[in-house]
Amino acid sequence: MRLELRDVRHVYGRGTPFEVEALRNVSLAVEPGEVLGIVGGTGSGKSTLVQHMNLLLVPTSGTVVVDGVDAATLKKSELRRGVGLVFQFPEAALFAPTVEEDVAFAPRRMGLAETEVSERVQGSLEMLGAGHLAGRSPFALSGGEKRRVAIAGVLAMASEILILDEPTAGLDPATRQDLLSLVRGLRDAGISVVLVSHDLDEVAEAADRVCVMERGEVRAIGTPAEVFYADLANAPATVRVGAALKVAYSNVGTPVRYGETLAALRAMLED
Amino acid sequence: MANRSLGQFYPVQSPLHSLDPRAKICCVALLAVGLFLIYSIAGFLVVAAAVGVLVVVSRIPVRIFLRLLRPVAFIVALTVFFQVLFSREGATLLEWGFVEVHAGGVRLGLLLALRILLLVSVAGLLTATTAPVALADGIEDLLSPLKRVRFPAHEVAMMMTIALRFIPTLDEEARKITAAQAARGADFGEGGPMRRVRALVPILVPLTVGAFRRADDLAEAMESRGYKGGEGRTRYRELRFRIRDAVALVVAILILAAGVLV
Repeated sequence: MRLELRDVRHVYGRGTPFEVEALRNVSLAVEPGEVLGIVGGTGSGKSTLVQHMNLLLVPTSGTVVVDGVDAATLKKSELRRGVGLVFQFPEAALFAPTVEEDVAFAPRRMGLAETEVSERVQGSLEMLGAGHLAGRSPFALSGGEKRRVAIAGVLAMASEILILDEPTAGLDPATRQDLLSLVRGLRDAGISVVLVSHDLDEVAEAADRVCVMERGEVRAIGTPAEVFYADLANAPATVRVGAALKVAYSNVGTPVRYGETLAALRAMLED
Repeated sequence: MANRSLGQFYPVQSPLHSLDPRAKICCVALLAVGLFLIYSIAGFLVVAAAVGVLVVVSRIPVRIFLRLLRPVAFIVALTVFFQVLFSREGATLLEWGFVEVHAGGVRLGLLLALRILLLVSVAGLLTATTAPVALADGIEDLLSPLKRVRFPAHEVAMMMTIALRFIPTLDEEARKITAAQAARGADFGEGGPMRRVRALVPILVPLTVGAFRRADDLAEAMESRGYKGGEGRTRYRELRFRIRDAVALVVAILILAAGVLV
């Protein structure tokens, strides 16, 4: 599935004294099977942007195009199945008496057979390393466990595109790592992932392409190397190390991920 | 962010906005009671004209002000409907089968409709021109004489302030949860009444859980900053009763007198 935003503009609270233009002239595409990282400061429009991808928010002007078709003409329920959206702090929306039932909510709404539902529930819980929590109450879990369960609840829709809005915010390093490897695992299974984050290191680690948002506009979009090396002040630590290495050692390339930077550093030391 | 109509503060500068909240509350109380002393349509029209002038003075766009009245439109319509149909006073205007419309019913319906609309307008003017915190401060002051008989005026006002403060927060939270459940395929407003009520469970449960968590957090935050009730507590914004507040009270009384006497 290819998702494209064309010239999307969004204004909150139109015609009131609280009117805010949250997005302007945003055009970008989510290519099939890629991890697109979206970075930007708070209030840069990241969350507003991703809510347009399954039309939870309708653009004030501009269009959202799915595989060449205007998304506004699609059935909302189908669009939202195809484009799964995990909100920031998704654990705030847990509601069922057990984890199992909560994760089953979306597949049940899709009208799947019970056997298929329980397969999906088990499958998505296991992908998040939360299979053992199935029978527990979601309200009695730790923060990290709640997050895993809430993400599983969206994963159970088996969407072709998965949007994660700040999935690692407020998590411990281990859960963070697990979520990042989940992102890579999904990409390897052919699912596109949109990863919204203000943690640049995490985006550098996982993303195939990066989009930088600033005051409701796309400031830059491209490969992590292009985007981050063009603006070192807003680059992850690995890139800043890479750029510093370049000064002494010109054939260091443009390392972005931790592993790449480490390899470049080793090569330089061995020389 | 979005348009919450009933009782929404509209932040602009106007003579009404800058009045002391206590004066405004008194004016509204006066007018609200006074509206039950008026029994003529002419009297209501006089008050309506005065309220119209006040809306202009308040610098609230008429379109936004009229939105305040929308939630009560149904109640007004229902009241008029019953009065017109079931009252048997005065000359018969219309007869159709068992339905009879009498002049007295029409008059009574109109009176009640005007009374409800004016009550809501006056109360709406108060909440639209007064920040919620100022409103709660005003109420605390007005209730403070009751402290002598151990009425917890400060606590009541604090509860009101907190309740008012958290309406937008809860509203925002409800929106977020609704969006999150919609992303998981929840449908609201489909099927029969039972299904609709059941569709609300995925919203109400997390909203309630969140409200309790927030209440806990707030209590802790208040205690950690040394809050221990109203005793000896000072205010950031001191209320001051000025001449213009006295003028406002006089104007309210004049409007009322005009309405009653016409």
